[in-house]
Amino acid sequence: MYSVSVIKPGTRSHVGSGRLGLDSLVQRKSIIPGGMAGILVCVIAWAFPGAGHLWLGRVQKGTVFFIVLPLMYLIGLWLEGQIFSFDLSQPLVALAALADLGIGVPYLMTRFLGAGEGRVVAVTYEYGNTFLVAAGLLNFLVVLDAYDIALGRK
Amino acid sequence: MSSHVGLMLVFSAFVSVVFAVLTTDDVDAQLRTGAILFAGFGGACILLGWLMFPFPL
Repeated sequence: MYSVSVIKPGTRSHVGSGRLGLDSLVQRKSIIPGGMAGILVCVIAWAFPGAGHLWLGRVQKGTVFFIVLPLMYLIGLWLEGQIFSFDLSQPLVALAALADLGIGVPYLMTRFLGAGEGRVVAVTYEYGNTFLVAAGLLNFLVVLDAYDIALGRK
Repeated sequence: MSSHVGLMLVFSAFVSVVFAVLTTDDVDAQLRTGAILFAGFGGACILLGWLMFPFPL
């Protein structure tokens, strides 16, 4: 005599201890089809902080990032912080330059306009550097978050 | 503005907002997380400041 059992989603499987949730039964799909979608979202999210989230429909998050990160960057410039140039003979300076680059187009505009020279003797010089570097690094995190959303992981 | 505490609080506010929005989806959770982070940053800095107080510059 054979018996037939039906395994419903959300119940435990007879084989192993894995939980059969909807995630395992339904294939997760990426929001944007195509192999290059994730890279495209990363480029847009890097260039304009928050734009990746806005494009993916996360309006609230995108708006907050779009306002907060460039504002943080501007405060760094206002505090006479320096946009570091890539100097591989000084590894820490090169890392700071990489972090500065994380903010995207505002960084490029700053370099293009010749701003961000910094004034070492200013009282707020180090504070400004901290704001500039942190803004770039936070935008890298935002880019990674947008990438996860684009691939349907979040 | 050149007040160390003032700039630290501004910096903490920005970082708290970004992390709160990044890690949570619900607005209430974002406000709660942001407030906890901001209080943590500010509290830790004041505590560390007082711990360093006995040491000479």
